[in-house]
Amino acid sequence: MATNRAKRINMAGMLFAMLIATTVHAASPQLNRVLPRGGQRGTEIDLVLDGVRLADAKEILFYEPGISVTKLDIVNEKQVKAHVKIEPGAELGQHTLRVRSATGISELRTFWVGPFPIVAEKEPNSEFDHPQKIDLNVTVEGVVDNEDVDYFQIEAKQGQRISAEIEALRLGDAMFDPFVAILDSNRFVLASADDTALLKQDAFVSVVAPKDGSYIIQVRETSFGGGGESRYRLHVGTFPRPRGIYPSGGPAGQAVPVQFIGDVLGPIAKTLQLPAAPSEDFLVLVDHNGQTPPSANHFRVSPFPNVMEVEPNNEAKTATPSDLDAPFAFNGIISEKSDIDFFKFKAKKDRALEVNVYARRLHSPLDSVLTIYDAKGNQIAQNDDSGGPDSYLRFNPPADGEYLLSVRDHLNQGGPDYIYRVELTFTKPSVTLAIPNNGGQPTQERQTIPVPRGNRFATLIRATRANMGGDVSIAAKDLPDGMKMDAAPVVNGGDVAPVVFEANADAPLAGKLGDLIGHPLDPNVKDSDGTFHQVVELVYGPNNTSYHKIPIDHLTAAVTEEAPFKIDIVEPKVPLVQNGSMNLKVVATRKEGFKGVISLRMLFNPPGVGSAPSIDIPADKTEALYPLNCADNVPARKWKIAILGSSDVNGPLWVSSQLANLEIVAPMIIGKLNMAAAEQGATTNLVCEIEQKTPIAGRAKAQLLGLPANVTAEEKEIGPEDKKIVFDVVTTPKSPPGQHGGLLCQITMIKDGEPIVQAVGRGGTLRVDAPLPPKPSATTKPAQVVEATTKPAAPPPPKTLTRLEKLRLEQEQAAKEGKTP
Amino acid sequence: MSTMRRIIFASLVLAPLCAFPFLFAEEAPKPATGPRLESFPAKITLETSRARQSIVSRIAQPNGITKDVTTEAQLSVADPKIAVFEGNILKPLADGTTEVRVTHSGQTQAIPLTVHNATVERPISFKLDVMPVFLSTGCNVGSCHGAARGKDGFRLSLFGFDPDGDYFRITRELATRRINLAQPKESLLLLKSIGAVPHTGGKRFAEDGPQYATIMRWLEAGAPKDSPEVAKPTSLEILPTQMVLEGEGAKQQMVAVAHYSDGTERDVTSQALFLTNNENSAAVSPAGLVTAAKRGEAFVMARFATFTVGSQAIVIPKDLKYEFPNVPENNYIDGLVNNKLKKLRIVPSELCSDEVFLRRAYIDIVGQLPTASEHDRFVTDTDAKKRDKLVDELLNRKEFVEMWVMKWAELLEIRSNNDVSYKSALLYYQWLEDRISRNVPFNQIVRELISATGGTFKSPATNYYQITKENLKLSENTAQVFMGVRVQCAQCHNHPFDRWTQDDYYGFAAFFSQIARKAGDDPREVIVFNGGGGEMKHPLGDRVVAPKFLGGETPDTKGKDRREVLADWISSPENPYFAKNLGNIVWSHFFGRGIVEPVDDVRISNPSSNPELIEELGKKFQSYNYDFKRLVRDICTSRSYQLDTHTNPTNEADERNFSHATVRRMRAEVLLDCIGEVTNTKEKFRGLPLGSRAVQIADGTTSNYFLTTFGRATRETVCSCEVSMQPSLSQALHLLNGDTVQSKITNGNLVKQMLDAKQPPEQIVKDLYTRCYSRQPNEKELAKLLTFLPQAHGTTQPSVDETQKALNDLFWAMLNSQEFLFNH
Repeated sequence: MATNRAKRINMAGMLFAMLIATTVHAASPQLNRVLPRGGQRGTEIDLVLDGVRLADAKEILFYEPGISVTKLDIVNEKQVKAHVKIEPGAELGQHTLRVRSATGISELRTFWVGPFPIVAEKEPNSEFDHPQKIDLNVTVEGVVDNEDVDYFQIEAKQGQRISAEIEALRLGDAMFDPFVAILDSNRFVLASADDTALLKQDAFVSVVAPKDGSYIIQVRETSFGGGGESRYRLHVGTFPRPRGIYPSGGPAGQAVPVQFIGDVLGPIAKTLQLPAAPSEDFLVLVDHNGQTPPSANHFRVSPFPNVMEVEPNNEAKTATPSDLDAPFAFNGIISEKSDIDFFKFKAKKDRALEVNVYARRLHSPLDSVLTIYDAKGNQIAQNDDSGGPDSYLRFNPPADGEYLLSVRDHLNQGGPDYIYRVELTFTKPSVTLAIPNNGGQPTQERQTIPVPRGNRFATLIRATRANMGGDVSIAAKDLPDGMKMDAAPVVNGGDVAPVVFEANADAPLAGKLGDLIGHPLDPNVKDSDGTFHQVVELVYGPNNTSYHKIPIDHLTAAVTEEAPFKIDIVEPKVPLVQNGSMNLKVVATRKEGFKGVISLRMLFNPPGVGSAPSIDIPADKTEALYPLNCADNVPARKWKIAILGSSDVNGPLWVSSQLANLEIVAPMIIGKLNMAAAEQGATTNLVCEIEQKTPIAGRAKAQLLGLPANVTAEEKEIGPEDKKIVFDVVTTPKSPPGQHGGLLCQITMIKDGEPIVQAVGRGGTLRVDAPLPPKPSATTKPAQVVEATTKPAAPPPPKTLTRLEKLRLEQEQAAKEGKTP
Repeated sequence: MSTMRRIIFASLVLAPLCAFPFLFAEEAPKPATGPRLESFPAKITLETSRARQSIVSRIAQPNGITKDVTTEAQLSVADPKIAVFEGNILKPLADGTTEVRVTHSGQTQAIPLTVHNATVERPISFKLDVMPVFLSTGCNVGSCHGAARGKDGFRLSLFGFDPDGDYFRITRELATRRINLAQPKESLLLLKSIGAVPHTGGKRFAEDGPQYATIMRWLEAGAPKDSPEVAKPTSLEILPTQMVLEGEGAKQQMVAVAHYSDGTERDVTSQALFLTNNENSAAVSPAGLVTAAKRGEAFVMARFATFTVGSQAIVIPKDLKYEFPNVPENNYIDGLVNNKLKKLRIVPSELCSDEVFLRRAYIDIVGQLPTASEHDRFVTDTDAKKRDKLVDELLNRKEFVEMWVMKWAELLEIRSNNDVSYKSALLYYQWLEDRISRNVPFNQIVRELISATGGTFKSPATNYYQITKENLKLSENTAQVFMGVRVQCAQCHNHPFDRWTQDDYYGFAAFFSQIARKAGDDPREVIVFNGGGGEMKHPLGDRVVAPKFLGGETPDTKGKDRREVLADWISSPENPYFAKNLGNIVWSHFFGRGIVEPVDDVRISNPSSNPELIEELGKKFQSYNYDFKRLVRDICTSRSYQLDTHTNPTNEADERNFSHATVRRMRAEVLLDCIGEVTNTKEKFRGLPLGSRAVQIADGTTSNYFLTTFGRATRETVCSCEVSMQPSLSQALHLLNGDTVQSKITNGNLVKQMLDAKQPPEQIVKDLYTRCYSRQPNEKELAKLLTFLPQAHGTTQPSVDETQKALNDLFWAMLNSQEFLFNH
């Protein structure tokens, strides 16, 4: 008995040790969901974070201020609990976060801060007659199961504003398109909403209670779908819910009088004190009777002044004029059906203007059509959708003078909330940086920078240029201590470059929200440095179309625990020749006992360079050759390359090689393969005429590749003096007859002990002929036929004949033998 | 035991609906007003020396019977200098005006006659003279040279839709082969036609015939091409337009007159192609002589140029004794139905019983069966107007709306596909439901639909343009659904059996050539709008075709949304098809057969069985401001709708004239809903809450085994043939062995509930009868059924379980019976 127990303890100990062993080298954690989906500001709540590889979680990185983690408990490998404090001043709406563990960084997920206390949805509430009773000014956290309908009952007084706003698709959990309605106690729908311009698929409804009594809020998926992941946060209360702000932009640093439009109680007038710095999407929450809506309206803070429309301006002659010179912004509302607004502005010849309508981008229902006219009212240019549903034109004035522009709705719709803003600005060079999509779904793959201590990690960075060209250098800002970045510039004509991050062996384990700076290297482009701007895809709908994506402005990097392997490129001493190939050597340094297969992939192929998608370093090996080839006609220049290595250590762990040099040079030898033909079983000469642009140093080997089966040609050796290579092509009676294209001559020369391989005469052709069937008259002499074709090659000294010469010779021979061809 | 019992039950309740003897009295014939001489055409114009006109005469009896006297009538010209008769053919002599006199059995009829250019020979014309030869001799039919690739290397346009192309192929293609102007007699065109040289099509006409002479004349003239001024045929008449032939072998000669764009007219009897749609009743010879055969009705047609026109021929037995019974007429429908029956000498069936009417009206109007209490209330009601009251009550139920939403969802093909998300389909369905339940006038709904603009979510009617995106298909569907016209044939050639030409086809399609689409905010949404540009090209010559209403004018569409112009016309009284077509669709729902059948194949060669009735339905529908609820009321309160299914000797063969009700299987959705209703069970469909009825399915792709087996429309085409009412073995097997009936009986557990409520088995049998058949079992049935219940055997009290099993078996047998499955 005792021994038994000892055994058990022993075994338990071993199991424990094994667990430790397998979790030492872990990949980045995976974060699937955060529950609850939100909290009330000014409170403290417990969050449950579900995922994979969470056992070594160290912190939760919140991108926005206002939420702090006071306690982090690891429940198990798949769950972490966090006690968080939401500051009273925390911004309402979406907060983004990732989990950082000792070994990596998770996906981005969201958490929502609201103004109201949270109430959990309680089933059964799927029938109108049995709703869940709730108070006003609460947030319900619920789930719409498949074909589920949730009903909530509130009590309201006559004249009281009842608003319901849902966060569903916005939560980023699932393709859940909600529908919200307010019904009276007799089942009459007072207001319903499916999709809204302000919240896209999400919805809000507002009514003024017609009398004292109960009202029912209905929530369902718009087409009776739903499921376990179809979670929502439903805010029900007396809060204001404007649809837009007019004007929806204003000059930075100034106090701007605005109207919040579309609230059920009518427009709300306010004066906004705008920040000093311009902002593309400034979020504004209106305060009305001490309440704000649960989510903001959108506003543009611009470095230029406003011009407001003056109705009537439905015709060119009543156009609202601007006394200002660009840049400035016109503001207006397409207030009713078939409304069209005209504006007049001054412009200078050849001083190109960017004319941008902001409507849908400001969540206005307007689908604008922008038209520009000359002073006489003749149309010059028109655009509907170049800025998404918004309109955009680059207008190059043909002469100094006055011009007109008009804005209308594409379907000639209109309404009090069809707000828009037309910004007239001058073109300005700009650049933004982002990590390109790494493959299929989920597209959050490798969008963060976890760098193991004493190791490297690499990514491509895409530079999106506007109104400029030229090289862009990339620099990093706010990386964790002990981490540095080595980046190749994004060269003119391309848009991506490899970037390698390296962490010191003694760097502290820590994560940080950093940034990248893209700097145009063209000295004529000034003040146009760009930063990191990543769009994170959260929800996909039918046909893998993106339904919800959110922008983030931080590059998240972390120093993680040591990885069990490291890889390095053995930098080639010889160049890659156009039309040539190379085997790039990659060596792996394995930690004692690490036996995983290391999968390698080129992070970046310079233009024209092709490679296998990936190759493996087998478990028992420490190196591999990565075959590269180079196309014809690509620029000769030096590139930086890097190779990523990954291995499955309870999930994929990624490291990178150093940033290595690869030079592409023009071909040293050019040439062409002449056509050749042989009857089955015969031997023929195939000539490769060459021109040595760079004379061969020493001797080189030439090989004829691409021959069909049962056809051989011996390798030849050539020197600097050779002008042609003659291959003896040997066929057999089994050689397949027909035209065999795609032959090439591969020349391999050695420099600095490394081979330079290149192909010449690509596309050569060999024809193999089946012997003619013996003619009835000639059946007696079949042997001579073969003899006749082999003869020309036989006489010494061997003279290589062109195809034409051979044909002539054959003809003559045949004539001599009295054969009719 | 149970299986055995089931078979016995089944044999009891599956007995065919037995016919019971029909009684009607033959009354004395009404007094006649005397026979009347009629001659055709009503006026004659002879233009140029080769003009001819045949005269057809007949005697019309007061009882409607007509007798051809063409050969017996005496024909004369008042002024014999102006024209002369050769047989019944009139030839011009000199210019002038006079009259032709037709005399028979003491009556004389005068026909005005005008002769122009009596001595002038009209120049031979390829289009006017030669082309008709190809049609009348069958050269350009689809199986001969009219095939898309021609025949034996020679192609003519099908039924002559492309005369210019035919001229080119005869005179220019393979130059010198087909015609020989030096020796016209040696032209292959002629040699082949008379069979002088081998010809796959054999001999088409004789060397001494008029067709030969015509072509010869054209060749001798040098095979001229028509000048653009040559008149075009504008219409065709076939006379007489109606005939009632008595007895097998009775004959009637027809005369066909073509009218031309220059105002002239010509007798084209010899050039027209005569066809009949019912050889059994009336055959027609190539010369236009109709010969009566079996009792019935036929439609005799003549085709000339692009026109096909028809004439109704009714054949009745000789010396038939017939008297129409004195039956009440509830409204205009009965009068019009009965008029037709009188013509055909048919006596309508009797009025059906209250119970039959109750069940029929419930199934047809609301797609449900009456409950026991509804049954009792109706049967015991003594109000003489109770049937009208019931119809009104049912019309105001939500289920009535749902039935029609389903029917329209079928015609509008509401189903999700790659271009239409489920959400779109659902919103489209809800849009339709909203319109129909608010009783929006139907022309208004159609107007909204055809001119729909906006996002497929925000303005769901635009899904009409997403479900079908191809412009030609869209125009075909629009014509088929809203006008009942199939124009598909005219895409490639003029319609062979209708008036539609390629010009009509592309002119109509041109209304859809400017539809534009762009992506909406939601990736599933598409915005459909008027793009303002894009033209429809005619395949012959690639010319732009201006939008033209089908059978109507060419409207001004400049600067307008063409679809709005079309929508206005389609739903307006100017459109001769719209109201009639909708009337016919409604009619067909209640009678199981349209007045034009199929409802979406209105064409000259598929005439309506009662033109006056369909005309009147259309008029009423218009005058009701397209409120189709009122139309349904007219139909359901008519006596014709309330006739019995049992026939009498005069109407047993009648399938088209509504002289009796027809036994119709319930359509798939209604049947499933009714099974659910009588068994007290709920069904679950994708994307709809539990308990939704099959009739409420929004998306055509949603189905289940039962619905598919019973022929539910998949909504893949607009064709009315999508709903299949054909019986099949799998239907029978599914009902007998499948899980629908059995599991619903088990799940509903109705019999047990009745037993638990201490109902005696006899009462339960009665209740089940009322539930399933809306009637009480008769004495005989009840007595027989009770013998199979355990109570009938032995003295011991049977267990509740045994009784329950037996009653469930009875229930099962009833649900499998024809009386349940059919509306009768």
